[in-house]
Amino acid sequence: MVRKRFHGLKRPRIRQDFSKETLYNLSRLTTPGAANRTFFQQKWTAKSMARAYHNPYVREGQWTRMFDRRLPAVVSMSHQYLAKYDGSEMALGRGMGLEVDSRRRDDGREGVAEGEDGESQVLRKRDGRVEKTPYMHMTFHPLERRLDTAIWRALFSSSTKQARQFVVHGWVKVNEKKMVYPGYQLNPGDMFSVDPERVMFATGARKSKKGSPVSDQEAEDRRVERNAAKSKEAAAANNSEAEEGLEEVEEDEDSDAGAATLESDEDREAMTTKPEDEQDARKAMKNLVLRAKRILEDSKRKLSGKRQQELRSFAQSVRKTMAKHRPSDAVLAEGSSSETNSISDFETALAEIMTKIPSDSLPTQSTSAAQSDATAAASSNPQMQQPEKTDEYNAARDAALLSQALDRARENPIDVSKPYATPWQPRAFMSAFAFIPRYLEVNQNVCSAVYLRHPVARPGLAEVPTPFGGEVMGLAFNWYLRRR
Amino acid sequence: MPPPEDDDVNDDEATRERKRREREEREAEDANEEASLDEFEREQRRQRREAEDQEREQEDEEGRSKLPKERASDLRPYPLNKEFRSQSVLSDELREEIWKRVAKGGQDVAEVSALFGVEMKRVGAVVRMKTLEKDWEKKGKQLAIPYQKAILRMLPITPYNPKSSKLTPHESINDLPVHPATRQQIFYPTSESRVFTRADAAKAFSDTLLPADERIPHPELVQLERWKAQDLPREERIRRQGEKDRRAREEKETRERKRKEWEARHLRAVPGQRWDFRFEDISVEDAGSDGRGRKGVGWRYGMPHEDRKRGMVKIPTSVE
Repeated sequence: MVRKRFHGLKRPRIRQDFSKETLYNLSRLTTPGAANRTFFQQKWTAKSMARAYHNPYVREGQWTRMFDRRLPAVVSMSHQYLAKYDGSEMALGRGMGLEVDSRRRDDGREGVAEGEDGESQVLRKRDGRVEKTPYMHMTFHPLERRLDTAIWRALFSSSTKQARQFVVHGWVKVNEKKMVYPGYQLNPGDMFSVDPERVMFATGARKSKKGSPVSDQEAEDRRVERNAAKSKEAAAANNSEAEEGLEEVEEDEDSDAGAATLESDEDREAMTTKPEDEQDARKAMKNLVLRAKRILEDSKRKLSGKRQQELRSFAQSVRKTMAKHRPSDAVLAEGSSSETNSISDFETALAEIMTKIPSDSLPTQSTSAAQSDATAAASSNPQMQQPEKTDEYNAARDAALLSQALDRARENPIDVSKPYATPWQPRAFMSAFAFIPRYLEVNQNVCSAVYLRHPVARPGLAEVPTPFGGEVMGLAFNWYLRRR
Repeated sequence: MPPPEDDDVNDDEATRERKRREREEREAEDANEEASLDEFEREQRRQRREAEDQEREQEDEEGRSKLPKERASDLRPYPLNKEFRSQSVLSDELREEIWKRVAKGGQDVAEVSALFGVEMKRVGAVVRMKTLEKDWEKKGKQLAIPYQKAILRMLPITPYNPKSSKLTPHESINDLPVHPATRQQIFYPTSESRVFTRADAAKAFSDTLLPADERIPHPELVQLERWKAQDLPREERIRRQGEKDRRAREEKETRERKRKEWEARHLRAVPGQRWDFRFEDISVEDAGSDGRGRKGVGWRYGMPHEDRKRGMVKIPTSVE
């Protein structure tokens, strides 16, 4: 039997996942019309739409047993109101409290303020109508208690189906104990944790190839860019052919050679002089930082064997320079302890990075940002008048910024062995689905969440997230009401 | 994209207007009060006001270069469902502060909850998970920091600024659950002259139902407000609150002591190699006549287990 299409585009269904199909279907979702349809037909359509979203992996019989017609709700009380009135004021007027037409009120206040002197428990809309509690939207609240749904709601997986897989495969713990039942009904106060690696995989961008850390989106962008450049080049070549004949420049091979081309005299000096031979500590530091920057910039390209050799020699020279200058260095000792700290940080970080570089490469946005920061800081620096001091200041600052950038890179490193694109970034279309309902409290750092309480409805807001309007939910509720 | 809704635009204007009015009111109030203050307090107020003004200016400056704040319609992930919106989550700084106050400072959960406008259960959860996070840090376990940063960038956030004196409440802390007994509409005849209060209404619904004042999570806030309305001096209010806290503490200690005494009398612990065995007297009658009573212990002879029957769910119902 042919498997049914999960994301149909002809008969669109909204599913609990972060996919582009769901996003597309969401954009064209409408409330089905009631004209020319029997009540039964309306209910049928509504419940099938709703169930396609609300955990279709739970069998219908199982769900009908879970269904409860008593829907939970709360009303938020104001302690000022409770202290001021004992409730007898509600008997005033025609028996429902004194009425004030809020449309005529001119103080522009909204929300809880109603009544004789602007205080009541009744929440009103701007036009004076009372905010209703959307009970019907709570129809599927028992399903929100399930472990797999809660994992998806906490943004730990890209779909409920994947959440279910995580649970079954043993990546999920409830109260620090392994839980392998996706249908486990969370109790208020239960903490569930998912393995962070799984979460990063589920919510991270996909890799383009197995052996590369680049995300598929990025790879696509690069391909498009390359094609555009090629077509431009071709057009330019066609134009110039008539005038100058063949002048083929091997631009493509420039990627590696271009890394070695040096822009300014300063760069050239930094690259050519050996830092360990340099007598001036400050200058040595500066050269080092410059070279490190260049390397970090270049490393986004594929590294050739020659370049790798260069990197290794650079790493050695870093170690030598540091060994030579740091202990007796008056200039650095003069600076505050934080500066020296950052420099030592820089050293260790560099050493660490160097061991990795031949196989991987490093993120470059952070370093370039740091660079621009450094230049910006230098230009607005009040010490500009004294070039000597400025140099020293800039060197220390560069080192600090670089170490910061390296820290960031260490937090989110490039690692080909991971099953997701690195450095980690959220997967495509995720932000459109990103919200965390209030009945969960999530700590993303440890990929854990606490199920605080059961979801409730309150005036103007239902806590069970559902893509359908009140009509559909009401009809679906009615469908399940039928049998009990 | 649908065009921006009118009420959103009005929202912005109304907020601005309200803010302006609030500021004016506050200034007027301050001016009134200022006469009755000593110099130290006046100085403190001045400093606070300056800090606030600075902050506002900074915010304005930042605001010019940033994206405009999201409107209500932007926070609706499902366009057809007007009854649902993406609600803000706690910022990491706020979580850190809550953890510091409860775990380090030893402050009361209810107190922290009322201060930051965060539900008590949420405060407990934040502290629990922050403790876990610190534990991971100490053990050198890798935290999912890039994930956290990305997610917090996608969600609306309840900010925390330690420098500013005003706090943004995260949620309503006094939520009154709709009690099943109050779902029916009842007609309760009573004389027109009678002062029919909330307590009477609760009685009319059910004999065991408490009035709203006692069913909310923070009844102490109501009491504080009542004292304020009675014009009690500040010292007196503080004294009474202290007295109340002391009594609650004592009660808790008594309960704990009694539990321990009961355990000493009824429980016998026998230390084993790996586990301590705890023995407790039970009654056979607890199992009931059919041997399936919920309080019953162990298995009764002649009563087969039900767990192989059709439809019996073996998923655990709770994890300790």
